[in-house]
Amino acid sequence: MSAYAMLTDTTLCIGCEACVDACKKVNGLGPDRLWPEQKAIDDLSATRYTTILRRPGPRYVRQQCRHCVDPACASACLVGAMHKTPEGPVVYDSGRCMGCRYCMVACPYGIPRYDWNKAVPYVRKCTMCYDRLKAGKLPACEEACPEKATIFGEREALLKVARQRLRDNPRKYVQRIYGETEVGGTSVLMISDIPLDFLAWKPRLADQPLPQLTWAALSKVPPVVIGVGGLMAGIYWVIGRRMKMQALAAAAAEQAAQAAEDPRAGEKGRE
Amino acid sequence: MNQRLRIVKSILWALVGVWTVVSVGRFAHGLGPSTGLSNAAPWGLWIAFDVLGGVALAAGGFVLAAVVYIFGIERYRPLVRPAILTAFLGYVAVAVGLVYDLGLPWHIWHPMIYPQDHSVLFEVAMCVMLYLTVLALEFAPVVLEHPLFSHPFFRGVHTLLKKSTIWLVIAGIILSTLHQSSLGSLFLIVPYRLDPLWYTPIIYILFFISAVGLGLATLIMESLASGWLFGHRMRKDLLSRLGLAASVVLGLYVLVRLADLARHGLLARAFDGSWQANLFLFEMGIGFVLPCILLAVPRLRTSLPGLATGSFLVIFGVVLNRFTVSILAFAKPPGVTYFPTWPELAVSLGVVSGATLIFIFFVEHLKVYSEDDHAHPGEPGYIKPWRPSFDPATLHGLTPEWLAGPRRYSLVAIAGASLAVGLLPRGMLTKPEPLRTPVARARTVEAMQVDHGRGKRVEFRLVGSDAGAPAGVKTVPVMLIDGDRNGRIVFFPHDEIAEKLGGDTACAECHHLNLPFDRNTACAACHCDMYEEADIFNHATHIDHLNGNAGCGRCHDDPSRVKSRATATACVQCHADMIAVEPFLDKSQKETMTGLAPGYMNAMHDLCVACHELKVKENPNEYPASFAQCDFCHGESENIDLQRLGPYVALDKDGANGAATPGRNGID
Repeated sequence: MSAYAMLTDTTLCIGCEACVDACKKVNGLGPDRLWPEQKAIDDLSATRYTTILRRPGPRYVRQQCRHCVDPACASACLVGAMHKTPEGPVVYDSGRCMGCRYCMVACPYGIPRYDWNKAVPYVRKCTMCYDRLKAGKLPACEEACPEKATIFGEREALLKVARQRLRDNPRKYVQRIYGETEVGGTSVLMISDIPLDFLAWKPRLADQPLPQLTWAALSKVPPVVIGVGGLMAGIYWVIGRRMKMQALAAAAAEQAAQAAEDPRAGEKGRE
Repeated sequence: MNQRLRIVKSILWALVGVWTVVSVGRFAHGLGPSTGLSNAAPWGLWIAFDVLGGVALAAGGFVLAAVVYIFGIERYRPLVRPAILTAFLGYVAVAVGLVYDLGLPWHIWHPMIYPQDHSVLFEVAMCVMLYLTVLALEFAPVVLEHPLFSHPFFRGVHTLLKKSTIWLVIAGIILSTLHQSSLGSLFLIVPYRLDPLWYTPIIYILFFISAVGLGLATLIMESLASGWLFGHRMRKDLLSRLGLAASVVLGLYVLVRLADLARHGLLARAFDGSWQANLFLFEMGIGFVLPCILLAVPRLRTSLPGLATGSFLVIFGVVLNRFTVSILAFAKPPGVTYFPTWPELAVSLGVVSGATLIFIFFVEHLKVYSEDDHAHPGEPGYIKPWRPSFDPATLHGLTPEWLAGPRRYSLVAIAGASLAVGLLPRGMLTKPEPLRTPVARARTVEAMQVDHGRGKRVEFRLVGSDAGAPAGVKTVPVMLIDGDRNGRIVFFPHDEIAEKLGGDTACAECHHLNLPFDRNTACAACHCDMYEEADIFNHATHIDHLNGNAGCGRCHDDPSRVKSRATATACVQCHADMIAVEPFLDKSQKETMTGLAPGYMNAMHDLCVACHELKVKENPNEYPASFAQCDFCHGESENIDLQRLGPYVALDKDGANGAATPGRNGID
C-alpha cells in the first residue's frame, strides 16, 4: 500500500471556503479572532488549519500542512511529538510536546501555528483528519469540496492523475506537480495555472529532504565523543607524565646540586 | 561589605522584584500577551539571549577546566573555582530561561522518556542536562568544604568527587564540545529561512570556535567584574594571557568564516550594501576583527581598559551573532517583525540578576576565592571603605538600623515588583482579548468610482489586484455591506454619505447612539468588532442571557401562540433605553414600528431606502426616481469574485488595504 495523499488543483477551486468550514467543524476550532500576533483574520492560525489564499486573477490557492514525506518538523522535534504516520499524515501528540516551537522554525512551508494566547498552548496544524482516516472516512475538507478541487487517494495514484491533467491541458497548467519531489516530496500535491512558489520560504526548494542536512552533523556525534574524549585523556596522560618526569628531573638536579655542595651526601647518593 | 557591592545587590534585587511579577503574568495567560513572538517569529529573546547566548557565555567553565586539568597549566588554578561557579550558574540560568520560553515547561523532562535521536535539539537537551550535572559535581566539593558538611559521610563524598575530578572534566569537555557546536546545527534545518551569509553546512564549527573565544572573554570579564566588586587584586598577567588566547581563537574564527564564505562564492554578497551585508560587516568588524586586534596588541592587552574593551567586544559580537542567526537574519514574511517586549527583557535581566545574586551569596559564604585574592591597602584593586553621610541607592544615612541587610533588599525587591505591576501590559494578568477592529474600517476597501451621470447608479469597482487603480481614476473607500450574508455585497460609500449628512455629528442620522442610561455613547463603543457574528438581533445571545430554554417565555410570553418574531414581546419593553433619541426615520414611520428588532437586512433597508425615497420626494430635480429603486444599490457587480470578500476584509494600521491586496498570506 502506498501512503495516502491529497491533490489540490487550484484551477478548480472557486474559493468558497467549504473546506475551511468543514475543517473547523471536524476539529472543533471555533471562530477566528484577530490577535496581535496575526496579520489577518484569514491567515492560518490555531483556529484555522487550512485557508484559501487569494492571488491575482482571481486565483484561489489552498494553504495547509503539506505532510512532507520526510518532514523537517518531525526530525526537529526532540520528543517525537510530530510524527509521520505510515498512512501519510504528519500528526502531533500534544501529550509529548514541550512547546519549544522548533517545528515552527523548521517547517519549509511555515505551516505550524501556536496557541499564543493560552496558558496551556499546543502546536496547531492540519492532521489530514488522521482520526477520520483510521475510522475509514475521508478528510473533511476533501468531502466538503463542491468542485472536487481537492481529492484524496494513494500518493502514486494521485501523481498519475496530476500528470494526466498536466498532459491533457499543457497550456493551462504550470508543468510542475508541486510536492512531487521538493524537500523529498510531500503528501499534499498541488497543480496550478500560476506558480505556487510563494507557498514556501524560498521560490525553489531543493529535492533534498531537510532532515538529511541536520543528520550530516548529528551523525558526527559518536566520533566526536570518542575523538575528544581520547584526545583529552591522551593529552592529560602525556602532560601528566612529562610533568612527573620534570619533577623527578628537578628532584635529581636538586640532589645533584646538594651533592656538589656537600661531597659526603653526594657520595651517599651515588651509592 | 563594601559600598559597591551593596549598590549592585540593591539593583539586582530590584530587578528580581520586577521579574517575579512578570513571571506571574507570563504563566497566567501564555506567551502571547507577554512576548512579541508570533507564528512567523516563534523564537525570540529568550532563545537568542538566554539559551544560545547563555550557553556560549558559560563556555569559560570547560575551557578553563581543560587549561588547568588537562594541559596542566597550574597558574590559572585560582580562576578555576569562580569559572566553574559561573558556568554552573550560567547553565542554571539557561534552564530557567528555557522554562519561560517553553509553552509546556512542565514537560521539560520529556526528552528523557520520549527520546527522538534524529533531533539536534534532543542532543542539545541531553548534553545540557548532563553537563549541568557535571558542573554541579565539579562545584560540589566547594560547597562540601563548608563547616555545615563536616559529617564523615560528606567528607567521604568530598574525597570521592575530588578523586573523580579529571573524569568529570573530560566528560564536561566532551559534552560542551557537542552542545556548543550543536546549537549551531539547530539551524542546519532552515536553509530556506536563514540568510546565506550565516547559513553554512559548517555552522556548528563556527558556533564552537566562537563559544571558546567567548568563554575566554567571559573569564576575563568575570575576573575584572568580581575584582571590581569584591576588591580583589587584579591578575593582569593571567588575564592578558587569556586575552592573547582569545585573540588567537577569534582570528581562527574570522579565517574559517571568510574561507567558508569564499568557498560558497558569497564573499561578494557581504559587500553588496544590503542590510544583511552591512549587518554581517558590523558583526564581523566590531565583534570579531576589532577585539582580535585589540587583544593581540601587547600594550593594550596588558592594560585594564584594553582588556575590558576587548573582552566586552567579544561578548557583544558573539551574542550579536546568536541574535542574528536566530532572529535578525531569520526570514519572516514582509510586514512581520519581532521586537522583544519589556516583560521579555525583564525576565532575561531577572534571570541574570538572580544568578548573579547566587554567585555573590556563594562568594560570601564559600571559598570561591582564596584569601590572597583580596587586595590590601595600597595594592591595585583595593576598595577603600566608604560611608557617605547619605546615599540614595542604599538609603544609608536615611534608614534606621533595622532597615539594614535583608530588609533593605526586600524593600527594593518589593519596589521593583510594584513598579512592574503598574507597567504590566494588558492581557498578562487579565484574560487576553482579541484585537478590536473599528467598525468603519473593518469592511472598508478602496474602490474606483464610476459615475454614470445624474441619477444613474454610481458604480464601484474594486481596485484591481496588481496594478492598482488606472491613472486618473478616482478611488474612494467603500464599505461592503452584506446584511443577510448571502454573499452579495452592496458597496456603500460610508464616508462620503456621512459627509453629506453633516460630518462627524451625523452618526445619529442612521445609528443608535445609546447604551442604557447613557445619552452620548461613541459609535465605536458598540460597533467595535464586526468580525463577530452579530446581527441587529442576536437570538443566541438572548438565549444565553435569559437562562437557556427556561427563558423562552420572557419574550414568547403567550404559550398558546406560535413562537415567532411576529408574536414576540417588543424589544422596547425590556430595552427602553436603547431606542434612538434622534432616529433618522421620519415621524410617520416611527409610529408604525412594531418595537421588534429588525434583521440586518431590514434595518439596512429601512435606513437607506427611507432616506433615498425622502430625497426623491423632496428634491425630484436632483434625485430622479431611479435613486430610490433597488438597482441603484444592488446593481450586479462585474467583479463576481469580490462579492465573496465576506467578513474578512481589514485595513492595515497604516490605512493600506489588507485583504484586497492579493498575495497577502502567511509567507510570501
